[in-house]
Amino acid sequence: MAEEFEPRIVAFLCKWCSSAGSDLAGVSRMEYPPNVIPIQVMCSGSVSPLYILSAFKKGADGVLVSGCHPGDCHYIKGNFYARRRIALVKGQLEFIGLEPERFQMSWVSAAEGLKYTEIIKDFVNTLKPLGPQTKLRRNP
Amino acid sequence: MVKLEDLKKEATQILKSGKVKYIIGYAKGADGFMPIPTFISDPEDVENLTWNPACVHNLTKFIVDEKKRLKKDKNPDNRPIGIIVKGCDSRAINVLLQEKYIDRDDVYLLGVSCEKTGVVDEKKLAKTLKGQRVVQIDFEDNGNFLVTTESGSEKIPAEDVLAERCIECKANFPVVFDIVFGEKIKRQVDKPFQSVETIEDLSQEDRWKFWKEQLDKCIRCYACRSVCPMCYCDECVVDTISFAVEPDTSAEEKAQKIKWIEKSPNLSENIVYHLTRAMHLAGRCIDCGECERVCPLDIPIRFLNKKMEKDAKNFFDYEVGFDPDQPSLVSSFKDEDPEDFIR
Repeated sequence: MAEEFEPRIVAFLCKWCSSAGSDLAGVSRMEYPPNVIPIQVMCSGSVSPLYILSAFKKGADGVLVSGCHPGDCHYIKGNFYARRRIALVKGQLEFIGLEPERFQMSWVSAAEGLKYTEIIKDFVNTLKPLGPQTKLRRNP
Repeated sequence: MVKLEDLKKEATQILKSGKVKYIIGYAKGADGFMPIPTFISDPEDVENLTWNPACVHNLTKFIVDEKKRLKKDKNPDNRPIGIIVKGCDSRAINVLLQEKYIDRDDVYLLGVSCEKTGVVDEKKLAKTLKGQRVVQIDFEDNGNFLVTTESGSEKIPAEDVLAERCIECKANFPVVFDIVFGEKIKRQVDKPFQSVETIEDLSQEDRWKFWKEQLDKCIRCYACRSVCPMCYCDECVVDTISFAVEPDTSAEEKAQKIKWIEKSPNLSENIVYHLTRAMHLAGRCIDCGECERVCPLDIPIRFLNKKMEKDAKNFFDYEVGFDPDQPSLVSSFKDEDPEDFIR
């Protein structure tokens, strides 16, 4: 039997909320798929489009950007900037023909460990039928 | 109609009075009907100035270059530069003003109105004329162009040979100027994003097939970057030369230098380059179409920028280059920005 495809997800988690949320999921022993590679960033607003494109280029099957809920940003308005920028990047990636499911954004607070695990579970489940991401990958 | 005599008279006058140090305009080219950009500092050379539908270039790029030159100059001549601007070029000036890259006093804007038409697309013109050599092209009333070929002259409806961007143009009249030539006629644009929509309507796989074919061609000559009036960064993200390797630079430092985009022209790197460029021009690109015109491989780069413009308009109600005082697209936000794509 062929091995099932396991997608690789790169998650950019903001230090103050989403990263703490994923920590909470960890310390609470909640179960979720091990397909995600978390990268802690200081703010979702600091995620440059280049990070996202670079992740896809280096073979990520999906990219998640996660930050604090609007109004909860540690830097007051970083996630508002992120919201705008990510909307543009998402539009652009869809425009050149990447599957829109491969790039997601979420708001996860430090108390929402459960929501984090659900997001990852859903993300993995949507990526599995799509197969490996070869479009933007450097050496497919 | 723009009267060339008036333009020349004004140019002579501002040069003679020393109001401007020189004028950037269009002059007859050495080959064929396409004009070339020209720099005029002697009032006698004003005779060379020309204005016709083949004046496609966005001359604001030269303002950016001059600004860079002035920074290094020990005794800078800070008088304004006279520049001929079409509607689209004047929006580029507005963006440069918005970003405080230039001051309003740095330029003296000689606006020209495209009126009901615009500028020609060289390839479309060649196709329409089936290979006849064009000697001269002029504006004609009622939205026609008067094209003189070697075998005679004929009237051609402007829509047939107009550049794609002019068909979707929102500023056929300069939005900022010191003096303007020609009539202010508001042209009706029904579908300002038609070209983008034709691609958006394709299925996802067809879109990918289209862009794969197009972006695979890119040889990374960076002509699009060189010609863009908005690409004025001193250090570009694709240049690794900006990392100075000195005798005491350690091997570790060299290894740890992040290369976001490799130089090699393969599909994956090309996509990252073009998408990054489009993102850097989000809310700044005024759709002068120069990147597409200079592309030696005819990649429709304009679509990527136009898509950004469309999203900015639809999602954030942001229009580029009409108001020099508005905050820039990616450094501002509204509470009601869409977030239906966020979980």
